[in-house]
Amino acid sequence: MTAFLQNCFAGLSLGSTYALVALGFVVIYKSTGVINFAQGGLLALGAYLGYTFSNNLAVAFGVAVLLCCVSAALVGATFERIVLRRMVGQPPFAVIMITIGLLFVLEPLVTAIWGFEHKQVNNPWNIRTVEAGGLVFGVRDLWTIGLTAAVVLAFFLFFRYSSLGLAMRVTAFDPEAALAQGISARRVYATSWAIAAALAALAGILMAAGPGGLTPSIGFIALAAFPAMILGGMDSPAGAVLGGLVIGLAEALARGYQDELFSWAGDNVSVIVPYLLMILILLIRPYGLLGTKEVRRV
Amino acid sequence: MNGRRFRFGAALAATVLLAAACGGAGDEAGSGGGEAGAPASSAGFDGTTIRLGVLSPLSGPIAVIGQPLTEGNKVWFDHLNSQGGVAGKYKVELVQEDTQYQPDVTVQQYNKVKNDVVAFTQILGTAPTLAVLPLLKSDKMVAAPASLDAFWVREQNLLPVGAPYQIQAINAMDHYLGEGGGSPRSRICTMIQDDVYGEAGQQGIDFAAERMGFTVASTQKFKVGTENYSGQIGALAGAGCEMVFLTATPTDAGKIWGTAAQARFAPQWYAQSPSYVGALAQSAVAPYMRQYVTIASEGTEWGDDSVPGMRDMIERVEKYAPQQQPDYYFAFGYNQARAMTALLEKAVERGDLSREGILQASQELGTVSFDGLTGDYTYGPADKRNPPRSTTLFRVDPGKPFGLATLKYNFSSDAAQAFEFTKANP
Amino acid sequence: MGAHRNVVRGYADELRLFGTPAARAGLVAMVVVFLVLPTVVQDDFWLSVLIYVGITAFGAIGLNLLTGYCGQISLGHAFFIGAGAYVAARIGGELGLPLPVWLLAAAVLGAALGGLVGPFALRLRGHYLAIVTLGLVFIGEHLWRNLTGITGGNSGTPVTAGASLGPVDFGALNLFGEVYSRNQGWFWLVWGLVALVALLAKNLVRTRPGRALQAVRDRDQAAEVIGVRAGRYKIGAFMLSSAIAATAGALFGAYQQFVSPDEWNLLLSIQYIAIVIVGGLGTIFGSVLGAIFVGALPALIDRYSDAIPGVRTGVGSEGFISVFALNQALFGVLIVLFLVFEPRGLAGIWLRVKAYFKAWPFSY
Repeated sequence: MTAFLQNCFAGLSLGSTYALVALGFVVIYKSTGVINFAQGGLLALGAYLGYTFSNNLAVAFGVAVLLCCVSAALVGATFERIVLRRMVGQPPFAVIMITIGLLFVLEPLVTAIWGFEHKQVNNPWNIRTVEAGGLVFGVRDLWTIGLTAAVVLAFFLFFRYSSLGLAMRVTAFDPEAALAQGISARRVYATSWAIAAALAALAGILMAAGPGGLTPSIGFIALAAFPAMILGGMDSPAGAVLGGLVIGLAEALARGYQDELFSWAGDNVSVIVPYLLMILILLIRPYGLLGTKEVRRV
Repeated sequence: MNGRRFRFGAALAATVLLAAACGGAGDEAGSGGGEAGAPASSAGFDGTTIRLGVLSPLSGPIAVIGQPLTEGNKVWFDHLNSQGGVAGKYKVELVQEDTQYQPDVTVQQYNKVKNDVVAFTQILGTAPTLAVLPLLKSDKMVAAPASLDAFWVREQNLLPVGAPYQIQAINAMDHYLGEGGGSPRSRICTMIQDDVYGEAGQQGIDFAAERMGFTVASTQKFKVGTENYSGQIGALAGAGCEMVFLTATPTDAGKIWGTAAQARFAPQWYAQSPSYVGALAQSAVAPYMRQYVTIASEGTEWGDDSVPGMRDMIERVEKYAPQQQPDYYFAFGYNQARAMTALLEKAVERGDLSREGILQASQELGTVSFDGLTGDYTYGPADKRNPPRSTTLFRVDPGKPFGLATLKYNFSSDAAQAFEFTKANP
Repeated sequence: MGAHRNVVRGYADELRLFGTPAARAGLVAMVVVFLVLPTVVQDDFWLSVLIYVGITAFGAIGLNLLTGYCGQISLGHAFFIGAGAYVAARIGGELGLPLPVWLLAAAVLGAALGGLVGPFALRLRGHYLAIVTLGLVFIGEHLWRNLTGITGGNSGTPVTAGASLGPVDFGALNLFGEVYSRNQGWFWLVWGLVALVALLAKNLVRTRPGRALQAVRDRDQAAEVIGVRAGRYKIGAFMLSSAIAATAGALFGAYQQFVSPDEWNLLLSIQYIAIVIVGGLGTIFGSVLGAIFVGALPALIDRYSDAIPGVRTGVGSEGFISVFALNQALFGVLIVLFLVFEPRGLAGIWLRVKAYFKAWPFSY
């Protein structure tokens, strides 16, 4: 039982990270209809910026987290302004490829600046743990879960009550009607990119503060967040959070019970569990758990 | 298409084919070697300069190993060139290519440079070496692998240095069951990378298990570059492991020990030499490593004056690469270059620096000494070779250069002496 | 044919493959280049680059049929390419069967695997389908790592498949007393096959099935209404495209003589998508242009990296960015530039140039 709970806790922490990244996917998808493949690159960039703030500029870790989110948001918004603005009206497929192009630029940029070495971000958590009820909780994992919950709450409040949030919802629902109401679509697009990049950066710095430390491969996690987004439904923020947690739990449990349950399926089955789960659910619900069904007209 | 056009087309094709027929490139024969005089020039050797290939990950996660290792190759050859070069007269030049530690890229890069070099003084990684091995054989090329697999010993086309991974693992177990305080009844486990390198470590442990009478309680495999190890660590903790033998590369090892520390899982860790890198001793995991981790490698601490080979090497590092940080991968590259030099001198002595000549010379090469940096290696025909069987155990000590302090210097167990080396898949 | 060269008097005229004198001259020029090039460029490095480009062009034609003509986005191309490579390793290498057999076997396996994805293509749309095919790459990678008997597991497997067609061995060509190197032989083999598959694809898209595919791409429900069975065509396109991909994979494995699971990753799929886009969606010739562009550029940079400032070519050389990183970054920048400035790709540029000269001297 202890082992089971311990695995669930690891799954929740992992799932929180997925949820943050998947939420970023959904924000951009909802407002612009594009899947942002560069999310992993933005995550890595954010984490390395956090490293620079925390280690080289020696600001307090909390401030470094804030700064890295803000600077990643700026990068995201700038990219939207310079490149993607020109692509409004082009088929979504072409825009997706552009985000892939951005990913290909970000990855070597990060390694050219920071190198390939394993880096350790100065942070107050490191490998500290607390024990309760026979379980060991990593302080970093607790913070990851807590911060994710807070950010998700703030996210929903923002969309529910702020005027910009309302504008974003309207634009997502009907861009032309929104434009007619005097809502600036440009501002909405730039904001959604900024929010997505900040979420990715937060996920990145939280991961980098863990026992794994910081390596350029940190951005790969975004690939496992794709299933999270699809599973929940691509246009549902709540679905992204739910999908992230489900995928995280499933992956952690598969890893924990690899020897007992999955040895027949080869080593490291947990790596493909997110994709298998995604395919399974899509066969039953083609638009994910909470996604809206597309209306098709001839 | 009507008949006239077709005839025209056929005539044209025939003309072109005729032109093509004069452009074959398949019959370039390697220039034969001269008789024990000055070696004739051949691919990679223009009569004065010998060019050697280096296939190493210079970018990507394993670059932390590839870069110092290549620097080690370079410092040795810089020193050698300042003495006049191979046999006092032939300067050596390195041709470096980035493999990213990927077998396919290694094959492509090998094909790119094979006609510009006489031999390869470094091919880093077990899987990349296995990938080019068939090509080495068909090209009659000699290469020095920068990995310690036991397969290499019996391959004439390879020029390994150092005691293989299996020997490291066996000697580490010998230490654990003796001074390490373990017994055959202890819960002994392994955590290995799921590739050939990991299998090499596991093979050594399995051999030791049979000789020393213990069983492996749990084996966890992981994929290179995994982000989260809590599942594997949980399984090891669940199996009650008191000792874990780790086969990994530094980035993964850092994450694994970090995760273990966080899970308060504290067995005795013994790790294969490529699992460690100096930066780990400065990281947040260092206190944990200091307490529980032992590294199985060879040679001595960086800067140990009592070993003549180390003294010379430090002197040359200061002269040719003053920015080089203490690093045992550097020493490995330095030793490799040294073995390659011994082979080239043999080939020059035979008066033949062609591929065939070097391959032949590797049959006749005797014992090469590394002055205590690694065990002496008896070369010769592949089936008669005898690699060193000694291991030095280090404990982690952030105060030392490279963060390692000698725990037990240069010892060899009976089991390690008894280990038989076989070929890779036929 | 008494009419003027540019007069088109019916659909049949318009659909002809090499209808105009210019097209015919182009064909002759291509045949000449094909035959003569390997004898002029004897350098192993450049020949091997061109062979890789040819194999990639082969696979890209398959993807273009699926994505460009049928409108189904697939990020799973790498999976099928990998499957084909292992067919070459086992059927061509281990069993020692001849070239046509292992190529065909790869195509059959590719088609079968593509058929398995079919049901998803029917049920899922657009982005959902793209991400499911992305999952295919990861599941495939897991299979390749664990089916050690077939794939050699993580350490990979040598591929010893021979390249003989009857008495002609492309691995060691010997014609009219002249001996050709392996690379020269493989150049002819690979580019000959590219020409073959390009011709087949071109024929496919200008006949009924091709028009049906495009109808499905443009609006699948409308296509159903006019009597095109969209489902059947979607699955068919998947099967055809994966069969071509697997054949390309078999060629890749046999040429490289060694394959490992690390190669069939998402990056490879993305590279193919990029080729199809840079070349031009929905054009066969564009796939080939795209492959040349995307394949030859990194090779150029690799070869002349010493001359580029700021590039680190090895330990001890100055510079901040490795050759590999520079290539990747340039690749990214190029994708972005192409899509922003010429969304129709290289083929679009080609068409513009052609249109300019067609209307000359009234081109404005």
